[in-house]
Amino acid sequence: MSNNDLEKIYSPSEDIVAREIEGELIIVPLVAGIGDMEDELFTMNDTGKAIWRRLDGKNSLKSLIEDLRSEYDVDPAILENDVLGLVSELVKRRILVEQTKV
Amino acid sequence: MSKPKFNSPHINDHKAEDLNLSNDALLSLMTAVLEKGLPFRFRARGWSMSPFIKDGDVITVCPFKDSEPGLGDVIAFTHPVKYRVIVHRVIGKDGAGLKIHGDSLDDNSDEIIPLENLLGKVTEICRDGKKVWIGLGIERHIIAWLSRAGLLVPIYQWLASAQNRIKRKH
Repeated sequence: MSNNDLEKIYSPSEDIVAREIEGELIIVPLVAGIGDMEDELFTMNDTGKAIWRRLDGKNSLKSLIEDLRSEYDVDPAILENDVLGLVSELVKRRILVEQTKV
Repeated sequence: MSKPKFNSPHINDHKAEDLNLSNDALLSLMTAVLEKGLPFRFRARGWSMSPFIKDGDVITVCPFKDSEPGLGDVIAFTHPVKYRVIVHRVIGKDGAGLKIHGDSLDDNSDEIIPLENLLGKVTEICRDGKKVWIGLGIERHIIAWLSRAGLLVPIYQWLASAQNRIKRKH
């Protein structure tokens, strides 16, 4: 992903179930139309969760990054790079999808 | 007040058994999957449905959709007092709820579970990667009756022992 992707908007895929329970974000992929706890599950660290909560299908990555900048002590270039890196990983794993423009 | 440091975000892969999920976590994920109209698979803990479902078996629960749970069905529900996810057999109806029973429990353990506590119907059990028979066909009516009468486990054990004797003879 690059700076050109900052205007894009992402939301959780329909093919997952994600719940934040007791401080842990747990993501269950719905592989082959089944929620299988015997399959691979995903969690994220605190900053991953902070990004995930903002991937709501409404805000662009740019506004998400601005929001995080106001909340965290972080170098803007590192923050942008980290957000793009995580989003890219989530898209690759089909956990996140880009919102299609209407 | 100083802002928190932003550590590099990352995603971790897990097996459910490594996460040691609480009952609340299991219930929340199961409900979310079933509400999407999809089946949910998870690992059984406990022996109350033995010999049909054993500790460590993998249970598939499906949403009820249009089908009402009936006599002999094995269902997942949240216990109205203990708030735990439990899998037991339907042995009758009682007013606004279902009478349920754990196959291996004594006959004083029948409980009435309100319909709003029901989560889904068990459709498959796997043990060591293989499907196992838990009597969900037409025979479920007889199994429900035997379970209610407290005869299910003694008869099952007698049949298993007879089968072993026959195998040894041949």
